[in-house]
Amino acid sequence: MIEDDFYRTSSQYRLWSFTEASLKAQRATTNAVASDRVRAAIRRAQEARRSATSSATGTPVPEVDGGGGGSTSTSTSKAEEKPIECLTPEEEQQTVSYYCEQIIQLGEAYKPPLPTIVRATAIQYLRRFYLTNSPMTYHPKQIMPCALFLATKTDNYYMSLRQFADGVPGDTTADDIIAPEFLVMQSLRFTFDVRHPFRGLEGGILELQAIAAGQGQPAPHAPPTQNTPELLRRNLFALPPPTTTTTTSTNPQTTTSSSSSTTSTSTSTITSSTPATAAQIKDRIARAHHNTRELLKSAAQITDVYFLYTPAQIWLAALMVADPPLGEFYLDTKLGTPPTTTTTTNDQTSGQLAALRAKLTQTLTACATMLRSYHPLASDPEQMKTLRRIIGKKLYHCQNPEKVNLSRPGGGGGAAGAKRIPAAAAAVAAAAAAGSGAGESGTSESEMERLAKKRKLEQGAARSKDIFGGELVMQRTKGDHH
Amino acid sequence: MPPARDAMANRGDDDEVCPVCKSSRYLNPDMQFLINPECYHKMCESCVDRIFSSGPANCPVAGCHKTLRKARFRKQTFEDINVEREVDIRRRVMQILNRREEEFDSKRAWDDFLEQREEIIANLVHGTDVAKTEGDLQRYASENMRSIRANQAREAQEASSFKEQQTHEQELARLRREAAKQEYENERRELQASREDVLTRLAAGRPGDAAAIAREGKKVLLKKSSARRSEEDRIRQKQAALRNSDARKAGQAGTAADKADAAGDSGLIKGLKKIVTPEPEKPYDPFGGIIPNKRDYYTLRDYYPSSYLDPLRQDTRMQAGGYDLQEYYSRTLMEAFAGLGCFIDEEVAQRDPAGSLGASGSVATQGASLAAVSTAGTLDPS
Repeated sequence: MIEDDFYRTSSQYRLWSFTEASLKAQRATTNAVASDRVRAAIRRAQEARRSATSSATGTPVPEVDGGGGGSTSTSTSKAEEKPIECLTPEEEQQTVSYYCEQIIQLGEAYKPPLPTIVRATAIQYLRRFYLTNSPMTYHPKQIMPCALFLATKTDNYYMSLRQFADGVPGDTTADDIIAPEFLVMQSLRFTFDVRHPFRGLEGGILELQAIAAGQGQPAPHAPPTQNTPELLRRNLFALPPPTTTTTTSTNPQTTTSSSSSTTSTSTSTITSSTPATAAQIKDRIARAHHNTRELLKSAAQITDVYFLYTPAQIWLAALMVADPPLGEFYLDTKLGTPPTTTTTTNDQTSGQLAALRAKLTQTLTACATMLRSYHPLASDPEQMKTLRRIIGKKLYHCQNPEKVNLSRPGGGGGAAGAKRIPAAAAAVAAAAAAGSGAGESGTSESEMERLAKKRKLEQGAARSKDIFGGELVMQRTKGDHH
Repeated sequence: MPPARDAMANRGDDDEVCPVCKSSRYLNPDMQFLINPECYHKMCESCVDRIFSSGPANCPVAGCHKTLRKARFRKQTFEDINVEREVDIRRRVMQILNRREEEFDSKRAWDDFLEQREEIIANLVHGTDVAKTEGDLQRYASENMRSIRANQAREAQEASSFKEQQTHEQELARLRREAAKQEYENERRELQASREDVLTRLAAGRPGDAAAIAREGKKVLLKKSSARRSEEDRIRQKQAALRNSDARKAGQAGTAADKADAAGDSGLIKGLKKIVTPEPEKPYDPFGGIIPNKRDYYTLRDYYPSSYLDPLRQDTRMQAGGYDLQEYYSRTLMEAFAGLGCFIDEEVAQRDPAGSLGASGSVATQGASLAAVSTAGTLDPS
């Protein structure tokens, strides 16, 4: 199918699509690496503090001393004894999900509220960011506004940084928002394109409306039995009423369990049910549209569906959740009825279509299950409690102390360091490849620091020698932020 | 070879007798003998006129039952009728087997071909295996009609161009000769004029100046002749350059003609070069095989009823900006189905066959190293 090939060229497909297993493995790796790093960093910080206190008191053996110096040293040694408890991958994921919901709320706080698509893009940025980074390394609280601000830019929704910063609650300054921007972009591998299912949904609804008006156009490979617009219309009007309509998006879990049983018998009920009127059908499509959209705005964003499925599959699965008979019908118009009623599958294309349809049904069911499994964190007090424990206590303790301050005042140190990363990172990657695996991470880190220091020194020397007075780029990036 | 023919015609005048009408040259000195390559029986012109004017007829020689036509009678070139026949056969075979050396893979193949041709000619001349050889030849001729024609045309062209070149060269030689003659004439005249001039001056001048006048005259003469010689050299060089460029042009034309050839391998001749005719260039396809508006999941309509979009059709603000609902339709429908048939769980697993762990691991370490560097950056006071 040619449309699929179009999608295969997207960066979302090439870089940000995973199987369930690989996604899990990716998160586990990120978590493991970050945990090691956090432990090492905290130990370093403690050592630095101890050496600072020991030099301050001037006593080489503080244990024998009484007084202030002794107490601090005992406390640090106690902290060292206690193993640092890091977040598990699941806890990390929960944390990220919480901040994804925060993005939705933050977008609502602006006047006018940020468009859905901007928020969705920001959420996907955040989720992609935390595939390779851990909340322990970079606190989502800092990354989240930056992701949202980045999304306003990539989605053509212009806001000035000041205007944006005013909307962010707390004492977050513009500099705080912009500080991790390059870091975020780098973690996104500079692929800003996010393929959303929203526009696809509009297209599907357009077609459904056309069918309802008797202007339906059959798909190019559709089976010949349902080729006329009139036949399509009649089939649409003969659909059984959705059981989900009475209780819509408030709780899809309970309704869909019953509706999924009806879908299997839907073909038999078609004939018995009385045809609906045009107004009813129109209303039904509008309602399905609305519910699907709500589902895409919330469940599709917070769950992993963007990583596991394509936008077309996501919106169709959401439609299946919102109005199963309608979704089935729409898929039938495209690919023919499911292969249980194989009457004319001797033809090669129809055989292919049937196979595709069977596979698609499976995928859509899986996707729909994932969409249904989503419950907003805010609605569940139990979940909120655990979250508060995770974010409030645990994350506070295992936060990487070296990454707390992303925007250092005093000029471009962080930014300049970040700018130079790719070359150094490549060098380290080569070094890591020469060594093998995670065992080398400690040495690679020290190597990294050494490289960074060397670079700094060289830079300083170059600047003093340079008669034109250093690089302009650093000054410009500093200026941009204001 | 006119002298040879003359000799043949005049030799043994009197005792030559037409085998058909028995009239001899003695009685009819203008009598000419003709032969037909069908049977090579000799007869006089009047006999040919008499017997074959009213259409094809049998050969009048006793025992020869070949049907002959008047049009094919011609004068005998060689005295020996066998030679005449062999030349005819050779000409015919050569016309059919007219491959050229550059059509063969190797020198060896070309030599083999030449030998084969000679063998065929010998067979036909000496009457061994005539039927088979003749059949082979006919089959080859019908199969390779085009290449034979092409080679014939080229041969004719070469012959004509050769002739042309020869006449051109002759013309040039004539011109050169004339120019040389003219020059010689001029020189002679000038010499005479200067001599006369010296004489008149000597006659008019005083006796003491005689030696000086003679010397001066000689000097003028020398100067003139040297000037003329240098002029001639210049012209000659120019002509040589022209000739060279002409020759080069002719050579190029020749190679170009060689290239234009189309022939396949034939059953009879082995070792022919495979001639690959280049694929005719297809028209340029900017989309690389993709049909621009072909879709597999949907058929785009011109209009979709929508309470939300319909007002836009009348909205001048939208229309003025060039907003096209058609674009919106095509885009939404494209996005509605882009990737519907992409099953990521299968395709991604195939895409990273080494196991997704390797790829993701590298990403993770990359992220970690990035973190490490920015650590160093932030720790280091700048």
